[in-house]
Amino acid sequence: MSKTDKLFPKLKEMVGEANVIQDPEKLKAYAIDGKKPKVIVSPGTIDEVSKIVAYANQQHFIVIPRGNGTKMGMGGIPKKVNIILSTNRLNRITDSDSENLTLSAESGITLSEVQDSLAKLGRGYFLPLDPPFTNQATLGGIVATNSSGPKRLLYGAARDLIIGTKAVFPNGDMVISGGKTVKNVSGYDMCKLLIGSYGTLGILCEMTFKLLPLPEKEATLSLSFGKLEEADGFVRQLRISQLIPSSIEILNSIAVENMKYPRSMPQNGNYLVTVGLEGVTESIGRQVSEMSEMGKKNGVLETMTLDSDKHRAFWIALRNFSQGLSEKYPNFIGLKSNLLISKSGEMLGNYERIARESGIECAFICHAGNGILHSYILPGKNFRSRIESFVHFIGGLTSEAVKNEGNLVVESSPLSIKKKVDVWGQSRSDYLMVRRLKGQIDPAGILNTGRFVGGI
Amino acid sequence: MEREKLIEESIKIVGKENVLSSETDLLLYGYDASLFRGKPDCIVLPGSTEEVSKIVKFAHEAGIHVLGRGSGTNLSGGTIPTQGGIIIHFSRMNKILEIDIENQRAVVEPGVFTLALKNALARYGYVYQPDPASEKVSTFGGNFGENSGGPHCLKYGVTTNHILGAEVVLSNGEVVQVGGKSLDNPGYDLTGLLVGSEGTLGIATKLILRIMPKPEAVKTMLAIYNSLEDAGKTVSAIIGDGIVPATLEMLDKLTIKAVEESIHAGFPLDAEAVLIIELDGLKDGMERLAERIMEICKKNNVREVKAAKNEAERMQLWAGRKGAFGAIARLRPNYLVCDGTVPRTKLPEVLAKVMEVGRKYELSIANVFHAGDGNLHPLILFDERNEEELRKVHLAGSEIMKLCADAGGTISGEHGIGTEKKKEMLFVFTPQDIRAMEKVKRAFDPEDLYNPGKVLPEVEA
Ligand SMILES: Cc1cc2nc3c(=O)[nH]c(=O)nc-3n(C[C@H](O)[C@H](O)[C@H](O)COP(=O)(O)OP(=O)(O)OC[C@H]3O[C@@H](n4cnc5c(N)ncnc54)[C@H](O)[C@@H]3O)c2cc1C
Repeated sequence: MSKTDKLFPKLKEMVGEANVIQDPEKLKAYAIDGKKPKVIVSPGTIDEVSKIVAYANQQHFIVIPRGNGTKMGMGGIPKKVNIILSTNRLNRITDSDSENLTLSAESGITLSEVQDSLAKLGRGYFLPLDPPFTNQATLGGIVATNSSGPKRLLYGAARDLIIGTKAVFPNGDMVISGGKTVKNVSGYDMCKLLIGSYGTLGILCEMTFKLLPLPEKEATLSLSFGKLEEADGFVRQLRISQLIPSSIEILNSIAVENMKYPRSMPQNGNYLVTVGLEGVTESIGRQVSEMSEMGKKNGVLETMTLDSDKHRAFWIALRNFSQGLSEKYPNFIGLKSNLLISKSGEMLGNYERIARESGIECAFICHAGNGILHSYILPGKNFRSRIESFVHFIGGLTSEAVKNEGNLVVESSPLSIKKKVDVWGQSRSDYLMVRRLKGQIDPAGILNTGRFVGGI
Repeated sequence: MEREKLIEESIKIVGKENVLSSETDLLLYGYDASLFRGKPDCIVLPGSTEEVSKIVKFAHEAGIHVLGRGSGTNLSGGTIPTQGGIIIHFSRMNKILEIDIENQRAVVEPGVFTLALKNALARYGYVYQPDPASEKVSTFGGNFGENSGGPHCLKYGVTTNHILGAEVVLSNGEVVQVGGKSLDNPGYDLTGLLVGSEGTLGIATKLILRIMPKPEAVKTMLAIYNSLEDAGKTVSAIIGDGIVPATLEMLDKLTIKAVEESIHAGFPLDAEAVLIIELDGLKDGMERLAERIMEICKKNNVREVKAAKNEAERMQLWAGRKGAFGAIARLRPNYLVCDGTVPRTKLPEVLAKVMEVGRKYELSIANVFHAGDGNLHPLILFDERNEEELRKVHLAGSEIMKLCADAGGTISGEHGIGTEKKKEMLFVFTPQDIRAMEKVKRAFDPEDLYNPGKVLPEVEA
């Protein structure tokens, strides 16, 4: 019997027949960058994860962890895809302790399930993360990719919210880091190492997060501007003020048009700035009026306040922008640039200019309080013939980002583009340590091989 | 290598005036704020990253241990040269390199004092949030090494949430940049891994910090209690009600007595405990939130809640809190600070058990701590010349760690493991967990040259 033939009965023995998929037809849907797995396995306990991984390590099978698959297109082209380890049965909330403002849950549960359960608890709580793919993304996938959203400005990202992890390392060891206390300096902070490690060091099985009570009130202020300098002027003034917005977004008109939210821009309106506000009731009204004043000083064309339903709908549409886009532009290319905060507006302008010069249509959404700029290339017709120009364009934006102490990551793109660019952007001096850590923790190279920085 | 040769080589790199090696020097650098003692071979005071890199490279080739040191105020024996070697003291690398308001970042050398940056930022109306009580003398290198906390970390997070990048000298002398001024750089979060690694993985020569505009309004209250338990219950109740104030600090009777004798912060001497509760942020709604907190205090039998009427009164309360360790040091010749942390719901129960431990060993325990974070600091008072007492102190300290661990907590919230709590690591970690950490250590420092013998206990392979 070949190594692979032995694998199937072994996995079935570990997790039960029903939790192993080997039907080639079904496997097709799980292909990553065109590479089809041999098998999908869905463990139901951490212990089962440990057994699967230990076995794979021994036999040198490459294991790719998967939540709900919203981010499987991210990262480099995998070296091989042997076993896909699905976390969909690891979907329990294991400890919901609102009195301590913490929650522990397994990695396969979706964030929206967690939020629903927290909202019903006592006075109402939430886990302050708002990444894309609101309804499908699992906690494990969100944390492994360090996915975040607009509200990060106020609440921070996974690294600020996670206080404990349980993960299975490549040798099969279940490794615990942190716990249920909001402060902890006992040993190395392995949580930080795992967050954003794209499943290359361990399989995240359970995580503990800090919680917050739901804000008393929320609102959105939406301001349209004719010129980027005006929008940026407003944002700059807001950033240095003592006001406390939860998010500051700048969208160009192409982004507004492609968003699944009915917001039309006034005539001459080219940029939309939206500011999220949440907190005690008294603070909202005052911030809205001060920000409206700031808008006027900076040449705003139109100011609108969205509350409750509209507010919610707007932010969901913004977070799920790329999902909406893929219906109309299945070949779209999504880029994420991390920049100096102060350069947010200026870089958006630079990118727009380069796009115009290259004749490429691009939507831009910038988290202007954090210096994160998302660019979406809308390819239109004749994709094949334009591949070179897209690759050239991505290179142009990357060097622009690097010049400004930032970088650029290709988050989603057709395989033909992936083959021609380093999706992780410009290489960094610390990749040396990334490689050494990978070498120590995963010496056989079985976890997610080929998909992360430096080809690890 | 012979000590003479080692000193000679060091002098070649940093100059004679920047190498210390007299017996007095070795004694001075042989201790820190913990109870441990050791002896280095020499002390080097580099002036630049390049010099640090050269020293480390030389040490690497010769197989000599290297230990980074700021002010030596850490409380866990983190800077004790238990196995000799070179101490790199950052007193000359003490410049604030950049205050970049537009990008909300500051860049500092590791020898800068925490408070020095805050004073420099005040001019711009900006703050660096973490505020260890030792901030007047603690350095950023030390804050980075220990992942230090402080009262305002309840709302704003600890050091790790405010260090976004660093220039790091690896154990072979190579220099790498981790993180940066911008967020989300591709690759592992090495900055996050290095913060709190107690100088065992890398030596930072530059740090990139997050700074933010000073909050518009602040309100500071002193809640006075006739019972320690009620104070503890109040803390759990405030968090349980979903309120996260900027600070929620507790001082008990013995601490109050010590503080009032030396600092006169205005804490009532007949109280069993006080809480310092501070709110900050926008002025809107702050009064209403303060009232909600007062209601909770009342429900938990508070005797009185006083609000600081002006900045002077506020500073006085904080002087009392920040000077508490120093004040307690006047009560007995020595103290051991325990740093156990528990889930906030467990606070009243664990506090009661801590006091029981004191009674059991007939030791005085003072409590002054970050209650809102569940981060206890029982200070066990003693005289180290009394061997029997010293023995009991170590037993009591370990027992307190154990009961924090058993309550679902941990053995250190902000002071680190160092030399002191290696054994207790196994209260909270399995050998598997430790082995994973060993791999991290090996990746960074395969020869075990950086601060050897710290943090990780020996476990079977
Ligand atoms: C009275 C008093 C009050 C205190 N209050 C608090 C408090 O409220 N909160 C709190 O968290 N702590 C507190 N501490 C503990 C201590 O002050 C902190 O841990 C502080 O951050 C240590 O700074 P330091 O400059 O003295 O560092 P050191 O003690 O010199 O070093 C600490 C650790 O960092 C490492 N290190 C130093 N420089 C570097 C570098 N450049 N690169 C890498 N590693 C380095 C060292 O090797 C060591 O392991 C207190 C201590 C005292 C004595």
